[in-house]
Amino acid sequence: MGTLLLIISIWSLFVGVIDIDISALLSSGEGMELKIFLFSRIPRLLAILCTGVGMSVAGLIMQQLCMNKFVSPSTGATIQSAQFGILLSLVFVPGIGLWGRVLLAFGLSILGTWIFVWFVQKIQFKNTVLVPLIGIMFGNVLGGITSFIAYKFEVTQQLSTYFVGSFSLIIKGNYELVWLAVPLVIIAFIFANYFNIVGMGKDFSQNLGVNYKLVLFLGLTIAAMITASVVTIVGQISYIGLIIPNIVALFKGDKIRGTLIDTALLGALFVLGCDVIARSVIMPYELPIELIVGIIGSLLFIAMLIYKLNHGKKAIRLRKAKEGTCCE
Amino acid sequence: MNKKIIILLTLVIGVCAAYLFIHSHPENPKLFRYILSLRIPTLVVMMIAAFSISSASLIFQSIINNRIVTPCLLGMNAMYTLVHTAVIFVVGSGSILATNANLSFTVDLIVMSVVATFVYSFMFEKTGNNVLYVLLIGTVLASFFGSIQSTMIRVMDPNEYDALLTTLVADFNNINVEVIYFSLILLVALTIFLWKDLKLLDVITLGKAQAINLGVDYDRTVRRLLLGVVLCIAVATAMVGPISFLGLIIANLARQLLKTHKHNHLILGSALMGMLAIIAGQFVSQHIFSYAVPISTFITIGGGVYFLYLLLFTKGGI
Amino acid sequence: MTIVDLNKKYDGKKVVNSVSFEIPKGKVLSLIGPNGAGKSTVMGMISRLIAKDSGVIHFEDKDLAKWKSKELAKKLAILTQHNNIQMKLTVRELVAFGRFPYSGNRLTKEDNEMIDKAIAYMELQEYEDCFIDELSGGQRQRAYIAMVIAQDTEYVLLDEPTNNLDIYHASNMMRTVRRLCDELGKTVILVLHEINYAAFYSDYVCALVNGKIAKFGTVEEVINKETLAEIYKVDFEIIYVDGKPLSVFY
Repeated sequence: MGTLLLIISIWSLFVGVIDIDISALLSSGEGMELKIFLFSRIPRLLAILCTGVGMSVAGLIMQQLCMNKFVSPSTGATIQSAQFGILLSLVFVPGIGLWGRVLLAFGLSILGTWIFVWFVQKIQFKNTVLVPLIGIMFGNVLGGITSFIAYKFEVTQQLSTYFVGSFSLIIKGNYELVWLAVPLVIIAFIFANYFNIVGMGKDFSQNLGVNYKLVLFLGLTIAAMITASVVTIVGQISYIGLIIPNIVALFKGDKIRGTLIDTALLGALFVLGCDVIARSVIMPYELPIELIVGIIGSLLFIAMLIYKLNHGKKAIRLRKAKEGTCCE
Repeated sequence: MNKKIIILLTLVIGVCAAYLFIHSHPENPKLFRYILSLRIPTLVVMMIAAFSISSASLIFQSIINNRIVTPCLLGMNAMYTLVHTAVIFVVGSGSILATNANLSFTVDLIVMSVVATFVYSFMFEKTGNNVLYVLLIGTVLASFFGSIQSTMIRVMDPNEYDALLTTLVADFNNINVEVIYFSLILLVALTIFLWKDLKLLDVITLGKAQAINLGVDYDRTVRRLLLGVVLCIAVATAMVGPISFLGLIIANLARQLLKTHKHNHLILGSALMGMLAIIAGQFVSQHIFSYAVPISTFITIGGGVYFLYLLLFTKGGI
Repeated sequence: MTIVDLNKKYDGKKVVNSVSFEIPKGKVLSLIGPNGAGKSTVMGMISRLIAKDSGVIHFEDKDLAKWKSKELAKKLAILTQHNNIQMKLTVRELVAFGRFPYSGNRLTKEDNEMIDKAIAYMELQEYEDCFIDELSGGQRQRAYIAMVIAQDTEYVLLDEPTNNLDIYHASNMMRTVRRLCDELGKTVILVLHEINYAAFYSDYVCALVNGKIAKFGTVEEVINKETLAEIYKVDFEIIYVDGKPLSVFY
């Protein structure tokens, strides 16, 4: 998978309105091509990779911690909280600049995610599907409030760039914030075993001497921060955090250490693929990637739901050899 | 029972009158006539939309025997918007199908009935009527339809998609009055066509086994009623745009207020309540907020909260 | 009512495999058998709730499939296990639905008399105006039986009527079944899990195993050591109470 990702990444560098080939790149030392390459193409690729890795890992962490396969930044109100934070910064402290905006988005998305998870744990739903349903509705309400305030203060236009995820505005100098996803993912990898243990329940983790609440809050905070940085720079990108971890779990199981890298790679691959589609459908224009991700992602999610409903637990336990015996 | 309906009716007449005549400048006959000529069609559109959404939601709830599921929550109105956009996308905006409102509406309705029947019967079959899965898939479907629709609009015209969006999708400040007569005729025809099936609704509510036991041709009746629901939603969406939660709120309030299982009362009551809500909402938004706040925003926020409340606190309801 | 060569497959698996038997008129017939034997499926096909793959059901000298649904509703009533109605209905309103095949939504004076009688028969007068979702399980089951009585059919089909009821309510239910047959002259067909209820309260028993009829006959013919051991693969002792064979197993 890693090699495939590398190949497509390099290829995608050469897809664009202005044709660039390697020879031109090398021959003309300071030409237009190299500039485009350095200021637009490479930043774009890096942003895409960070987004894919970050969002899918954020989803994986949230799913593990909540013990629910349907929780993710887009079904846990994280994205909408981050947008709400951006709105607040636009309306009340317009001069705050990018960093201030990001901090507000961080704060609100962490808060929103905490509230949602606290709520879900408090109520202890019998049916796992109820959780994403409530998350989506919670997100809708937050989104409604956001657009209401935006309408009132006439910042709808400004805000819309944060709503529909798109890589078209990524150039050197304005996107570096998404790199934040990288250290956060590394932290997540280091603490992976803790997340796994917490995912098995409060009693279980106490038995193993893991501070349940601390790890839960730490994990959710990491997930929320990754999401917020992506939302601030790229805009809303739904479904990645939901479907990528599920697809990987389908084949590789639920042990985070073992699946985190696969999840990250597949996430990056997915976003990259969607981006190539988004750029090539109406050349020389491009579609916002959120639309492509929305179409493919929602279809995959529905397929996953139906599969899970009809095959029950088997869907998640579908694994090779060893555990085959314990089914049914 | 009848008393409550009469009170509702009086209230509806009251808001209609208020909507028509307040700030209508009766001292200046020319202006007065002009204002009325603008307001009357809008009023009729709102009444039609209210009637369609409320009764469709109510009937749908009774068919699938659940009070938190309404057709709009399952993305039926998003589907209509998509169908409408897709038709224009395919035939091109210069074609007669796009320029003649009634003709394009007819095509939309036909495509919509076929697609909706296919998609939703597939969905109900695959989920085995598990309500929560139906709801979740419906919610995702709504965003799916939305994504395809915006993609189409951008592909049609990457530069001016905002302008295109407003001409393609109606909303409360941009009400589509061109298809009034068509919709009125359609609704009357539907009511006559489905009259017998509507009478069976009381029994359908008892569930499939009981309905068959009492001699109802269940599958056929439900299929006909669902078609009616789809068409009603299409009519409402064509006229005032997608308002997801209105049907949910109205249908549940009607059930709570009227406290009956008799559908002739329920449908009438919810239609009246729907009219009351929409017309009063528009009136308030127009005269008090002077259009500053679109009602659809209120409906999204209020409806979302109400939906969460229903999900969480309906005891044994789901 | 005669059932000839009934078949039903689910996902390629034969759930009901060429089942034929005759339902004796004016008697109580119980369908028994282990889980997954196809009891409820047979019942569903007899009551037209489940479509059959092949086979014929003769009902009053006419193919059941050729009956008009509404006419059949006046002859044959079915009560399934799962009755969760979301709507707020009072007991009386529920029972009134039993008259639907006769009068639609408008109740005549006769209908009201029938409803009164049905409610009185099930001793539900004091709960008449209670909402059914506020009743206890036993009361609710009685309300449904009252609806079936109001439907005034010759045949009554009950799918596991004692399910989810405690011993007190379950045996009351079975006594009611007996009364429906003895006092009102109805033909009652039941699906039962409890062998002893079948043995004590019915006239005939039909035992199904793996979608096939293992044994059909009078209570004495089916409820005996040998037959039961064969059906359930467990050893049984038979004791007689009131002249009825009851089984003991462990």
